[in-house]
Amino acid sequence: MKKYWKIITNEFQRHLAYRANIVSYSFGHLFEIISQIVIWTVIFQGTSMIKGYTYPEMMTYVIIGWFILFATSNYGFEERIAKDIHQGTLSNMIVKPMSYVRYIIAVSMGRVVIALITVAVIETVLIFLLRNKIIINLDPATLLLMLFMLLVAFFIKLLFSILIGLIAFWIIEISGTYFSLNIFSKFMSGAYFPMNLLPAVFVNISLFFPFIYTFFIPLQLYLKKITLIEGLRGLGVELLWLFLLYLLIKLVWHFGLKKYEAAGV
Amino acid sequence: MKTIEVKNLSKVYEYYKKQPGLWASVKGLFKREKLFTEAVKGINFSIEEGELVGFLGPNGAGKTTTLKMLSGILYPSSGEATVLGFTPHKRQKEYQKQFALVMGQKNQLWWDLPAMESFILNKEIYEVSDEDFKKNLDELVGLLDIKDILDVQVRKLSLGQRMKCELVAALLHKPKILFLDEPTIGLDVVAQKNIRDFIKKYNQEQKTTIILTSHYMDDIKELCKRVVIIDHGTIIYDGALDDLIKKYAPYKVLNITFNDKGVEKTQVEKYGIIQKYNQYAVSIEVNREEVKKVATAILSSDLPVDDIMIDEVDIDEVIRKIFKK
Repeated sequence: MKKYWKIITNEFQRHLAYRANIVSYSFGHLFEIISQIVIWTVIFQGTSMIKGYTYPEMMTYVIIGWFILFATSNYGFEERIAKDIHQGTLSNMIVKPMSYVRYIIAVSMGRVVIALITVAVIETVLIFLLRNKIIINLDPATLLLMLFMLLVAFFIKLLFSILIGLIAFWIIEISGTYFSLNIFSKFMSGAYFPMNLLPAVFVNISLFFPFIYTFFIPLQLYLKKITLIEGLRGLGVELLWLFLLYLLIKLVWHFGLKKYEAAGV
Repeated sequence: MKTIEVKNLSKVYEYYKKQPGLWASVKGLFKREKLFTEAVKGINFSIEEGELVGFLGPNGAGKTTTLKMLSGILYPSSGEATVLGFTPHKRQKEYQKQFALVMGQKNQLWWDLPAMESFILNKEIYEVSDEDFKKNLDELVGLLDIKDILDVQVRKLSLGQRMKCELVAALLHKPKILFLDEPTIGLDVVAQKNIRDFIKKYNQEQKTTIILTSHYMDDIKELCKRVVIIDHGTIIYDGALDDLIKKYAPYKVLNITFNDKGVEKTQVEKYGIIQKYNQYAVSIEVNREEVKKVATAILSSDLPVDDIMIDEVDIDEVIRKIFKK
């Protein structure tokens, strides 16, 4: 385990060297949230309720959602894996007594720390500034459950990225696939807008994908639109997905490596 | 038991052919012509513990493919390789802890961090104890003289310094076998020599078995007693470097200088094959057995000989001839 800890700290140090870059990223993210706040504020001037959401609820959805989105993000691991495979850097890894997939997971954990701190600072400022417009829920059980859901969400999204990255064993250029799948997964998670703005059939379909549990469900819990029990069930489904993705990665890795060993890609 | 034993090892790569042009690209979406190349064709060799063997061959000869099979990156299409009693492509941890692979064109060091961080990571990966780590590191750092650059970010190092650090990273766990794939590629002559000297010394002191591929003749000449020449996937020579010259160059070269008015070409042609000719200097190829006799004949002739030297054929020349065939 010591080796993976060293990978985490190495990646953390590496990113410390690029702190300006991370701050720049957060700057861009800030504009995303501002545009969301503007749109919803304008829409709610003509009405007080949209599909069961009040203005404070919608603002909460946007502001807390922004934090969730970036706290569970892994910042482009698909391309990192694709690069390792195509440039043959993978060869250097697989001759060592170490698991490549675990290596990637460790790197992502090291990478996310600084981004998480930056986002948390910005989020705190935002909540403070908009404290009169949003709903503050400090119920410990809810927050604890949310924390767990987000932790699992981080790994679900990471494993999903790894899975897409591994497609590079068969496809030379994955950026198109990865771009579309990322937008699809963001849409299905409810990060663009609450899922229940869509007809019920869409919500029902999205329950069969892992993404909704990484964003929409934890937010519903926070907004008290679902009960703790329903939240716990969400966590259960998340864990199931995590396990499933893990198995899928094992399978894809196994066959991908066969191809890599055969062709050197 | 031999350290490395290779029997009928072959590797076939699949690839697809694509005709030029737009229409062919569209057709290629539905039907592609699959082709095969045999990168390595049933090679056999074995290597003893502590040997330093050079793999020599032009680009695409199969050197790197062979190393990749020995290190377990590629699995053989047929035949088998056994290294330290292990089958490499099973990639067992016990095997992986006993060898290292250094590829001149791919680095394993963390680009944005000082080399030291990568060393510590390798220490953890290979489960080297603190004492051994310190001891090995001091030794390697001393041998390569890189104490000053350990705390500099790798991307700020020169190619030569980086290669030294790559070697340290690879040797910290004291591997029994070291695969070096083009370790001197792209380096200037001084850096090349530094790396070479280190490899030589390390092999002598540690008795590490080393396979080195290179297309720089100097690497092979200086380091390897034994050389394996690969071309088009087959081994065309395996043996001592010295014997190679004897086998492929059954002649020596007589370099003769003349004074006075010099000589006519016709006057020296009878002694052997003329390699170079001008009035005052002639190089003649003469069979090994006859070289003394011919030299004596020239000296005792009435030609105005100023100096005569019997030279061994240049190894580069020999190799070039082999690859041209």
